[in-house]
Amino acid sequence: MSSVIEVQSLTKRYGDLAAVDDVTFSVGENKIYGLLGRNGAGKTTLMSLLTGQEFATDGRISVFGESPVENADVLQRISFIKESQRYPEDFQARHVFRSAPWFFANWDPDYAERLVDDFRLPLRTRIKKLSRGQLSAIGVIVGLAARAPLTFFDEPYLGLDAVARQTFYDRLLEDYAEHPRTVILSTHLIDEVANLLEHVLVIDRGRIIIDQDADALRGTATAVVGTSKAVDAFVGSREVLQRDGIGGLASVTVAGLTDQDKAAAVAAGLELSPVSLQQLIIRRTSMTEKEEVGA
Amino acid sequence: MTAVLDTTARPTGAAHRIWSVVRLNTANPWTTITLPWMILGFIFVINWLIWWIINTAAGPEGMVEAVDGLQWSGASMFIFVYMMVVAIQSVNLTFALALGYGATRRDFWLGSALTFALLAVMYTVGLTILSVIEEATGGWGLGGRMFTAIYFGDSGWTGRAFAYLTLLALGFFFGAAIGAVYVRWKSLGVTVFFAVLSLLIVALVAYLTFTQSWPAVGEALVSLGLLGVYAWSYVITVLCAVVGFFILRRATPRS
Repeated sequence: MSSVIEVQSLTKRYGDLAAVDDVTFSVGENKIYGLLGRNGAGKTTLMSLLTGQEFATDGRISVFGESPVENADVLQRISFIKESQRYPEDFQARHVFRSAPWFFANWDPDYAERLVDDFRLPLRTRIKKLSRGQLSAIGVIVGLAARAPLTFFDEPYLGLDAVARQTFYDRLLEDYAEHPRTVILSTHLIDEVANLLEHVLVIDRGRIIIDQDADALRGTATAVVGTSKAVDAFVGSREVLQRDGIGGLASVTVAGLTDQDKAAAVAAGLELSPVSLQQLIIRRTSMTEKEEVGA
Repeated sequence: MTAVLDTTARPTGAAHRIWSVVRLNTANPWTTITLPWMILGFIFVINWLIWWIINTAAGPEGMVEAVDGLQWSGASMFIFVYMMVVAIQSVNLTFALALGYGATRRDFWLGSALTFALLAVMYTVGLTILSVIEEATGGWGLGGRMFTAIYFGDSGWTGRAFAYLTLLALGFFFGAAIGAVYVRWKSLGVTVFFAVLSLLIVALVAYLTFTQSWPAVGEALVSLGLLGVYAWSYVITVLCAVVGFFILRRATPRS
């Protein structure tokens, strides 16, 4: 697997605040990455650094083998419409779709037109007057139709209604299958995108706390439900991520069960269910918080 | 069917990238071309009506004196300020979009400079033609002066063309520099910029006053002539263009 992005010890400080704090990771070619984290965790800062819009305080970034800063060869292969993207004062959506093809070599105008229909985006309204969802739709359409080898989607779901969210989901998978590319999708709405993702990067307080294959990550924890007694007996000294109980029943999220463990649990009359990516990440994120408070 | 994207390279040449920025700056020609001409047309109509009123009220004898006053028209001055605002907006907002499209700051600055140059030439040609008509028709039949106002010199149409072009270029690049300061250091930066500028001007005035140099300055300006003074403004224009680039080169688009 060749990597499209290599980041080493990357730090971005604003005064005392480290928005990105000594981060190291790499992004493989033609996969869909989720960049997940809470609001203000550092997602947008990290993407701005990767696209040469922000300047690193420290560390090294390589995109397509080179530094992205002021590097036309690298940047023209990237599409990054920010969640908070600003447009010229007088722009309507049609001006965006008129101008984007001048910058993206792979732009597909027919596809863009179909997407505009799918999202029911008004083309002749000033962008300033569009709703949050319509604004997100512009970013989504540019990201899809540009077919840039490295495409960022920044909070694409913000304000989109259920139908539009499904549309984005479907179109991205379809188009990705036909035109594989590297996609980095940032969001705090984890469940919405969970099934799209092949690899998960979770950022919290500027640090990458999870960098894992999505399937492997899902397998790292299991919810075990049963009578308190049976659950306690099974759990023993295993690592417990979360525990809930009502009356004599208990639900416990346990890390790292092997197949044998699972068979044993079922034999003990316990019910096993997978933990959603969202649950898993919430638990991991709150754990780092507790650790920090404790320390 | 799987069409693998050409990820290795389809390097677009610098000329193409810079031209794309020119097109982006004028993707909606309403603001940069249509609206300014419409405003100019409206101002012209208002002025023409005022000239007509003056003519009617003053009568033929009175007009001999009135014509002298009409040359002090500032009616076409708005265009230079407007273009300054166009440049500020471009560096503030179009810049943010250009970077989202994967343009470099360098390509954006060169492309915008080219946009400003082309717009300045277009407006210069238009204004010059109007000024020639104004001359040929004896002030639109009413002794009016809008495009041959005193600020554009008395050296014929070539002199006026030079004056328009110079003032437009100054407006554009001064605006671009202010825009760059704003994007880099936000509104505090702009405030500091103008504070420092004011201090420098006051310091210059103080210096000229205490060294009793005003008569010499006056003489110098007279010997330079209006167009000579305009020519010196290219020092400021070029300074803005160069310094503005280095300011924007380390700037992050506002969000």
